[in-house]
Amino acid sequence: MSGAQYSKKQDLLKNINRRGFLLRASLLSSGIFLQGCLRKLHPKSAYKDIKGEIKGPNAKAGHLLRDKSPIAPPSHSHSVETLIIGGGIAGLSAARWLKKNGYKQFELLEVEQEVGGNSRSGKNATSSFPLGAHYITTANLHDKELIEFLHEHKVISHFENNLPFYNPYFLVFDPEERLLINGQWQEGLVPDFGVPENDKKQIRSFLALVEELKKAKGTDGKYAFDVPLDNSSADSEFRQLDKISFQSYLKDKGYTSPYLLWYLEYCCKDDFGQKLQAVSAWAGLHYFAGRKGIAANAEENSVLTWPEGNGWLVERLASSVKEHIRGSSLAYEISETANGKMQVLVLDPETDKVSAVIADKVILTTPQYVTKRLLRQFERPNFHYDSLSYAPWVTATITVNGMGSTKGAGLSWDNVAYNTPSVGYVNANQQHLQTNENKKVLTYYLPLCDYQPQVSRLAAYSRSYEQWLDMIIPELEYMHPNITEMIEQMEVWLWGHGMISPTVDYIWGGNREAGSAPIGNKIFFAHSDLSGISIFEEAFHQGIKAAKQLLES
Amino acid sequence: MDKRLPALLLISVFVVATCGLIYELIAGTLASYLLGDSVTQFSTIIGVYLFSMGIGSWLSKYFDKNILSWFIQIEILVGIIGGTSSTLLFLLFEHIASFRILLYGLVSLTGILVGLEIPLLMRILQDRFEFKDLVSKVFTFDYIGALLASLIFPLVLIPYLGLVKTSYLFGILNVAVALFVCVNFKREIPAAGYLRSASIISIFGLLVGFVYSETITSFSESMSYNDTIIYSKSTSYQRIILTKRGKVLRLFLNGNLQFSSDDEYRYHEALVHPGLTALPEAKNVLVMGGGDGLAVREILKYPQIQSITLVDLDAGMTSLFQKNNMLVELNKGSLLSPKVKVVNADAFTWVRNQQKKFDFIVIDFPDPSNYSVGKLYTNSFYSEIKGLLAENGIMVVQSTSPYVAPRSFWTVNKTLESVGFHTVPYHNYVPSFGEWGYIMAMQRQHYKKPVQFPAGLKFVSKESLDQMFYFPGDMTKVETEVNKLNNQVLVKYFEDEWGAVL
Ligand SMILES: Cc1cc2nc3c(=O)[nH]c(=O)nc-3n(C[C@H](O)[C@H](O)[C@H](O)COP(=O)(O)OP(=O)(O)OC[C@H]3O[C@@H](n4cnc5c(N)ncnc54)[C@H](O)[C@@H]3O)c2cc1C
Repeated sequence: MSGAQYSKKQDLLKNINRRGFLLRASLLSSGIFLQGCLRKLHPKSAYKDIKGEIKGPNAKAGHLLRDKSPIAPPSHSHSVETLIIGGGIAGLSAARWLKKNGYKQFELLEVEQEVGGNSRSGKNATSSFPLGAHYITTANLHDKELIEFLHEHKVISHFENNLPFYNPYFLVFDPEERLLINGQWQEGLVPDFGVPENDKKQIRSFLALVEELKKAKGTDGKYAFDVPLDNSSADSEFRQLDKISFQSYLKDKGYTSPYLLWYLEYCCKDDFGQKLQAVSAWAGLHYFAGRKGIAANAEENSVLTWPEGNGWLVERLASSVKEHIRGSSLAYEISETANGKMQVLVLDPETDKVSAVIADKVILTTPQYVTKRLLRQFERPNFHYDSLSYAPWVTATITVNGMGSTKGAGLSWDNVAYNTPSVGYVNANQQHLQTNENKKVLTYYLPLCDYQPQVSRLAAYSRSYEQWLDMIIPELEYMHPNITEMIEQMEVWLWGHGMISPTVDYIWGGNREAGSAPIGNKIFFAHSDLSGISIFEEAFHQGIKAAKQLLES
Repeated sequence: MDKRLPALLLISVFVVATCGLIYELIAGTLASYLLGDSVTQFSTIIGVYLFSMGIGSWLSKYFDKNILSWFIQIEILVGIIGGTSSTLLFLLFEHIASFRILLYGLVSLTGILVGLEIPLLMRILQDRFEFKDLVSKVFTFDYIGALLASLIFPLVLIPYLGLVKTSYLFGILNVAVALFVCVNFKREIPAAGYLRSASIISIFGLLVGFVYSETITSFSESMSYNDTIIYSKSTSYQRIILTKRGKVLRLFLNGNLQFSSDDEYRYHEALVHPGLTALPEAKNVLVMGGGDGLAVREILKYPQIQSITLVDLDAGMTSLFQKNNMLVELNKGSLLSPKVKVVNADAFTWVRNQQKKFDFIVIDFPDPSNYSVGKLYTNSFYSEIKGLLAENGIMVVQSTSPYVAPRSFWTVNKTLESVGFHTVPYHNYVPSFGEWGYIMAMQRQHYKKPVQFPAGLKFVSKESLDQMFYFPGDMTKVETEVNKLNNQVLVKYFEDEWGAVL
């Protein structure tokens, strides 16, 4: 009885929400449209010398899946024992693991021409550059699988006193980070220059707290926060932190310093694409306490990066499984055949040709909002697709032929300005060995977290190239006066579903666990959204876990 | 008479006033630029200028007849003197004994002439038109002109035109006033035609100055190098400037002194001979940096050397030292020797792609003053180049001053040791640079102090070597960190240590 009433109320709430959403979305996008019309009157104006356009993951594929437009029947079909769908980090890692363990009867489908997903990279005359993911940190010592992978590809060259010795060309070159604050660039990102003593005290206190949490273990003897996060302690002392937002956690703890709160919000935006109130306290603390990678030749949690960002790791992961990869292949629908096999319809988005793959088993490494469409005919008990929330992102690849001079610390790998919408830009040339380079490629990262993700996403898709310039360039000008005239090219890349958000109760509330359960020993799942935290390490382990499940089934 | 004329005459007052103040500001700026101490320069210039203007006004009473034509002549004169003053001062700064006499002379002259202008103009106006309030208007325009001048001078003129162009521009305006008066009052002026041609010719002359002022400024840029610039070129990597004073040539890269021909032998002999003399078997040599060919010149003094590979980033630099007569004479044509192979490439990448071994390696990079060059002093670079050094070979690294920058110097030493090199640090005195440091590095400790040196060396000898290897108390070894790509401590030390002296 009461259950029915409750659910009705929920429906109502849902409707109101929905209406609110539609209202906000339409207001925002019509605003953008109107502004776009005005903008057309002065096309490009001050930015007329800047070349570029909007790009992003294959949009046609997205539409096809979402609208479920009818496609032609398959013109041919073939069989394979195992089919991996999706060539992001998780998919490639699963493939590598299968191959490494002597299993070769598999094929990997990727909708784009190139594998890599959110870790893809690009290249122009000046440098290679990341389009999304751009770094990892030194691996946790007990993360044997990751250490082994890094050793395999000489990211770790050898061990000294049992500590990994990292390849010095891959450790981020100094100077690493700088922050524009109170009119000057300071070294490092933790606010310091011109910060009042009371704020510094709170910052120190928070950093001491996470230093403790890094070492903290639960009653089960496991680290309170670990990577992959599934290895973390089940101790409720820590897990209950998933039930409150990071924002209310900080409030309860008495952290009020605007400088500290800015820093923590910056971190949440950087790692999750979300603000303090939108992520759980467990996730927020995990950012600081989960990684504890020590090294023989670098400080704890040192950054590992390449001009092409994690595109370098993509290339290594893919290197052993090249012949199994099929690009330009959109998995469109999965169904079970009469004799219990999996039939996967595959569409080439370029030619619209359709084929079928008959597989015994499938590893699905697509994000769940895609998986939902693929698995229309399957049940995933207790898994609620719609409670997953993804943060949209925009990145911009900016080629400059100079940067002007700035006050304070010089150009670093990661460059951030206090209290601005973006999380700054990284310099692809940082890891170059050349001593003299006039041009640089900067990748600018803007999480779209001012509105609900759906609203921001819709708004993002309605913006024109000029409108993105209008959003991005003023911030760059604020960081570097007169940089506009030094910008030669700016490619805008839109990640509609950039990162899974570790919203309150998502990581330990049970939904994630339900979504990770294989279906009938035939369909296995791996994607960073099933970790709840979108980092290379999680996707890497997601892939290994699914491959292991398959090999054991 | 034209009704607009009073208004136009008032505009002339305004222009004349603006020009007057601009000349004063130019003189002040130029004096502080060339002589330093801007407070003193500005107050003395302003004092002299105001005093001279007083003299000018006082003198004005001696002008009775032909005021119009006097006014025109004075305008032309102010225009020419004011317009060319900054050029004169720039060009003569180095060459005359008492620059101050010239400076204050010009300032007084301009001051007197400017002091004459307004009283004369007022009398012209008084004579011509019967309205007293014009007098007050003249002063109003005079002050507005002054205000305008003081605002546009720092905000617009100096940043966009620069000193020399500004002077010419205002000179032209001054003469334009003369021309304007000349044309409008031609019936009342004796010899109006003559005055008109004079103003037109002056305007033309000043215009030429305005157009060619770039050349003038770049010529006067040479002043800051103290010597005459005999060559200057911007390559894609750096600005190369070569200067000459008497017989001495100096090379500047991006404004930093690289060598001075009167004492460079001290540096290059010290860089090459302590190491190479100890290697009688050496055949193949690598020089990194050193596109001037001076280290190569020293290396070529050893007949047993068969090949020298010179790797320098900048083709502009190496070709200059292959083609310019004076420079070829200095490096004895070393870069033209058939034994020498010049490679224009970026050092780090080149080393990583190289397999050949060398018996002797000279590392002569610019000082680690920024993070880009700093990479070439890291353990990563040294371990790459270690692979190119023969088992019994020696590498020598220029390592900045152990006296001024001991932490920097010993960081290079420590970094070399950290990749397994055995090192022999040493130093000598080079007047242009001060006390300078070098470090020899080898695969194992096999260095024996040589006793026999090539003939004709001016600095290195058995005796001077003893001095060079000895580090007195003010340069002794200090403990430092290893310089790595991911810490770049050397750049920070270098900045601190040299920042404290420069
Ligand atoms: C802007 C941005 C910056 C980031 N920065 C970092 C960082 O610095 N460090 C870090 O560790 N992480 C970063 N990340 C997180 C990054 O997402 C993860 O590191 C990792 O790339 C996730 O991999 P994945 O395999 O889980 O997911 P995905 O990358 O989403 O992989 C899914 C793959 O499946 C393919 N696919 C989807 N649908 C289909 C279909 N129907 N048929 C066939 N193929 C399909 C996709 O094209 C894609 O290749 C960043 C993410 C973004 C958006």
